[in-house]
Amino acid sequence: MPRIERSATVSWEGNVARGEGLITGETGAFAELPFSLPTRLGAVAGKTSPEELLAAAHGGCLSMSLAGELTSAGTPPERLEVNVKIVMDEVPGKGHLVVASEADVVARVPGIDADRFDAVVAAADAGCSFSALIRASASVTVRARLEAT
Amino acid sequence: MATERRAEVTWNGDLMNGSGTIDRVGTGAFGPLDVSWPARAEDPSAGKTSPEELIAAAHASCFSMALAGGLAKGGNAPERLSTSATVTFVPGTGITKVALEVRGAVPGLDDAGFREAAESAKANCPVSKALAGVGEITLDAALDA
Repeated sequence: MPRIERSATVSWEGNVARGEGLITGETGAFAELPFSLPTRLGAVAGKTSPEELLAAAHGGCLSMSLAGELTSAGTPPERLEVNVKIVMDEVPGKGHLVVASEADVVARVPGIDADRFDAVVAAADAGCSFSALIRASASVTVRARLEAT
Repeated sequence: MATERRAEVTWNGDLMNGSGTIDRVGTGAFGPLDVSWPARAEDPSAGKTSPEELIAAAHASCFSMALAGGLAKGGNAPERLSTSATVTFVPGTGITKVALEVRGAVPGLDDAGFREAAESAKANCPVSKALAGVGEITLDAALDA
């Protein structure tokens, strides 16, 4: 299989408490997104953070994995909505850790029954590379429901 | 206190021909961003992001903050850090490698001290820990020439 590489660059100025950084993706899809420690941990002010980027990555990964599994099962989706929440917490003796990723999925899939859908969701979670990675150190939950077609 | 960050994604159609959008993130800092399988797995020139590019952005930003914090704690706050992260994805296998590269302008610190601080940031930043299952995470750290 082909190896695919994707890069992003960050420039940071100053110390961690008062400094600020900028994030740019190599595809140009996003550029110079500002981030800082106060907005990472506390009040958000239109600035992203590593954890928000992970939430977006997990949502993209799960939605594609689910579209692939549903298509393999002979029931391609009309529409999937995936909301992901990443939780970071301070764990005694271990510092800040990503402790959970919680995904909620609403799917419109003609021709599938509830049991089959549940099995496909489980396969999609198992097949999403990011779910597999973070499950090693965090809890990953995927709640999915079918919408009437 | 726990910190929560959210993202919302919509996907339409099958995997190969369909497409998705990262509609919203909680802070509103970016989006909507389009995603598709061809853009993820084949051609990066279409200007569409992918989960792997977002993971690269998360890791580079997390590492940079950890390094800025470590350097400041050691009495050598950086003037500037430039970090890149490159994530390697093999369809069917998963994410096999993250390569971090950092160049820094840090008054009063030598290369060895900078590399030591960078190794510590790589080991301890929360995204590194979340990606501990990746087979290979490499680091190339040096002070600006």
